[in-house]
Amino acid sequence: MTQLMLHSLLPVLIVAFGIVLSLLLIAWRRSQKLILIFTITIFSVALLASFSLFVDLADAVQVTTLVKVDSYGLFAFMLVLVASIAVSVLSSMWLTHTTEVHDEFFVLLQLVVLGAGILVISDHYASLFLGFELLSIALVGLVGYSRDSEFSVETSFKYLVLSACASSFMLLGIAFIYSYSGSLSFSTEQLMFDNMSDLSILVRNYGHGDVLFYRVGFLLFMVGIAFKLSLAPFHLWTPDVYQGAPTPVTLLLATVSKIAIFIVLMKCWFSQAIFVDTKSSDENMLFLMSIFAIASMLIGNALALKQQNIKRLLAYSSIAHMGYLLIVLIVISPQSVALAWQSALFYLTAYVLASISIFMTVQLTQYHHNKSELNVDDWQGMFWQNPSLAVLIIVAILSLAGIPLTMGFIGKFYLLNVAVQAQQWWLISALIIGSGIGLFYYLRIIFVLFTIVNEKNIAKELIPVSLTLSPAVNFSVMIVIILSVLLGIFPDLLGNLLVTVN
Amino acid sequence: MSITLLMCGLLFGGALAWFLEGVKAQSARWVSLLTVLVIGGYFAIALNATAYDFSTLQLLVRVAWISSFHIEYALALDYLSIVLILLTLFLALICVLVSWQEINDKVGFYYFNLLTSIAGIIGVFTAVDMFLFFFFWEVMLLPITALIAIWGHENRHFAAIKFFIFTQLSSLLMLVAIISMSFIHYQQVGQLSFFYQDWLTLDLPLSISQYLMLGFFIAFAVKLPSVPVHSWLPDAHTQAPTAGSVLLAGVLLKTGAYGLIRFVLQLFPQASVNFAPVAATLGVVSILYGAKMAFAQQDLKRLVAYSSISHMGFVMLALFSFNAIAYQGAVLTLVAHGLSSAALFALAGMIYSRIHSRDLNHMGGFWLNTPRMGGFALAFSAAAFGLPGLANFVAEFLSLVGAYQRYPILTILAAFGLIGSAIYGMVLFQGVFHGKCQVKQQAVNDLSSRELLVFSSLLALLIFIGFYPNSILGFFQSDSIIIAINNTVGVSK
Repeated sequence: MTQLMLHSLLPVLIVAFGIVLSLLLIAWRRSQKLILIFTITIFSVALLASFSLFVDLADAVQVTTLVKVDSYGLFAFMLVLVASIAVSVLSSMWLTHTTEVHDEFFVLLQLVVLGAGILVISDHYASLFLGFELLSIALVGLVGYSRDSEFSVETSFKYLVLSACASSFMLLGIAFIYSYSGSLSFSTEQLMFDNMSDLSILVRNYGHGDVLFYRVGFLLFMVGIAFKLSLAPFHLWTPDVYQGAPTPVTLLLATVSKIAIFIVLMKCWFSQAIFVDTKSSDENMLFLMSIFAIASMLIGNALALKQQNIKRLLAYSSIAHMGYLLIVLIVISPQSVALAWQSALFYLTAYVLASISIFMTVQLTQYHHNKSELNVDDWQGMFWQNPSLAVLIIVAILSLAGIPLTMGFIGKFYLLNVAVQAQQWWLISALIIGSGIGLFYYLRIIFVLFTIVNEKNIAKELIPVSLTLSPAVNFSVMIVIILSVLLGIFPDLLGNLLVTVN
Repeated sequence: MSITLLMCGLLFGGALAWFLEGVKAQSARWVSLLTVLVIGGYFAIALNATAYDFSTLQLLVRVAWISSFHIEYALALDYLSIVLILLTLFLALICVLVSWQEINDKVGFYYFNLLTSIAGIIGVFTAVDMFLFFFFWEVMLLPITALIAIWGHENRHFAAIKFFIFTQLSSLLMLVAIISMSFIHYQQVGQLSFFYQDWLTLDLPLSISQYLMLGFFIAFAVKLPSVPVHSWLPDAHTQAPTAGSVLLAGVLLKTGAYGLIRFVLQLFPQASVNFAPVAATLGVVSILYGAKMAFAQQDLKRLVAYSSISHMGFVMLALFSFNAIAYQGAVLTLVAHGLSSAALFALAGMIYSRIHSRDLNHMGGFWLNTPRMGGFALAFSAAAFGLPGLANFVAEFLSLVGAYQRYPILTILAAFGLIGSAIYGMVLFQGVFHGKCQVKQQAVNDLSSRELLVFSSLLALLIFIGFYPNSILGFFQSDSIIIAINNTVGVSK
């Protein structure tokens, strides 16, 4: 292991080291404030490390067969860290309302981030599974964290059981894939080039007979991935878990877990080199992905229509968004892979920013209304009472709906570019129909914010009271708003970063 | 001349109005009025001072914007855009004036939205980078939707959502077409491009261009609107506040027609010629259907809304006749209808402010108390049914004469629309001003001086253009679009 390899692993190592230190810190003194500051520090240091690495890294670095650090993965890890910092801040708001000291929460959070870190750089089914399980098990603990809440047991059991099932399906799938390719590495080509020629012949012959096993294996593998990404038809857990989990954990589920899994799926998929045009293309695979994508777009959006609970609504909308994102997997040729990566990362950035904005507002208003269930109507007239928070939601919702001026539109523009180049007209139609349905519930939220409330014509508990926000919160709200609009109008700021890296 | 300055000025004025309303009540409307006047004045002076020849498209600014896709910030002007911008600015003035007393809630934010939407519409009329065009096309929707959703009438949320979804869905189709065009440019030239004049040089096979043409056509047909995608319009117009209706009917519908002229006909000439019979038929169906539906309405604003569908049918028919006279008629219809429908919606708003109803059954006999309003209403409904001497007559006459040379039977059918418009025009006028009075007489006052100003300026323009149509048509005699149209027809023959 050279110094370069160690250097490129640095961000993940920092987080891993941080976990150990946190445990020591807990043994030394149990203080919520201390561990919060420590966690945020660890994340920020890791963020800095990945950023400097992201800027410096010329080429992808293969660290053993397990791990391959490239700039796309690093960018994704940066997104994960940003989201995790937001989660930590939100948790601190939430956890102060109880008397216990919650050190474990932050350790679990760091474990999730470590799992995500391993996932985004993994190049091997073994490291994938390692990261996958680390992420899942820590998340189970977090999902059921608020023991007093009425949904906590239901939620965590649902997540635990289904997640375990999904993992075992995935393991079986990996075994099948291994039986076909004789390697657990993502890229089978590398095996052929690197090793002795007789092995490569062996692999090729071996692969020739049992392609069915490979397909079944990939299908089973996709079950595990689709569960985590909550793609239809494996989405059933999503609304319940989103609703039952504490809000910061919901944000974690919506962002960190999905980014990491999606990135690893992309790495795995592109290593298999399944392209629309080339000879090695496997139409069944492409068909399978298109089905996942179209079903998720339509089902997610359709089920979101009638939701009153904001978290459930966001759960369904996230199903649809993962469906949109799957479009990037269907590309025509190796040349389009770069565009696909840029699109995915841009879209994910927009999605993360929007999610952070909305869940931040949910957390703030939930506390204010002092209830666990936050409905869309609870935000009535917010624009006139708390303009900055309302603008935050509006920008985020418009971004999710893909309306210009926001990042989400540019993200959608990227996706459409990929889809047009691959000439996937069915996917495009589903995306258009899905966005159309989506507008119904997105616009409803925005209109609720603008409702002019007369105190006489609504029930008393719905009368909006203006929240007083601390200067720090106000400042971060402003930052997020400015960032999402700025990147929506000048996407080059981010786009060029993504172009120049490789 | 800087169009960017124009738009920034409007945005700034809107923001200032919003801010100042918080400082001192009732200042927003003055700020907005002043902004529109200053901007309009600047535009007129700059037009006079400039040396460009606007009979062809003159590029004003072109700078890189999103370099990863070769998207540029490019604006250009020709006479078509100039006429439509002038119409927009004039109607913006009318909008501010009709909102003067009507809006009492959140006034500052209202004027901010109004001016922002005007800025967006000006962007639509000038953008020549297709991504930029799409950007403005979408951005102008947001403030207009807000106008409907916040200050509209009883069913405003439904109307606003319907309006937004119709336009958004159709424009996504256009976005796909735009991306496909840039990808074709990539295949042919080796570089993505969204620049309109680059696209004009592309060599498109008909098999592809007909689908791309449809993508654009549907987006513009929804905005125009044409049957069968018109159903957002009656709801949106009815529920919007008066200024919203004026803006929708007067300017927003024109963006659809502008898109048809600028993009559909010129980027896809051959495909348009092939598609023309369908489009012309849609136009005629819109004319007749709109007129029939207008006649059957009890709601005053709904009546005017359906009459808009009818009038826009003439535009569609004329544009797809590929004839210079018809084209001039179409452009003139845009202006004439912009003025006359704005006037009728303003009338509906003024009546609503007096009796708080839009139902024709609650009206009647207003002539006794409001002879001046009645006189203007008569003139405007006469304009709507094309009385000679008013602008609409010239416009529709030219459209029909031009269209007759290509589609004689369709044009004869379309001419029945004129009879229909006379019927609903009279229904409107008689229902409101004749018959027995339904409400207390004292409630209905005659026009205030502000309302008088609105009406008389609109009527003066209608009469001026009616008697001297060359004031507008003169710009379009040697227009490059006409030459393009003639070429197209030449090719197809």
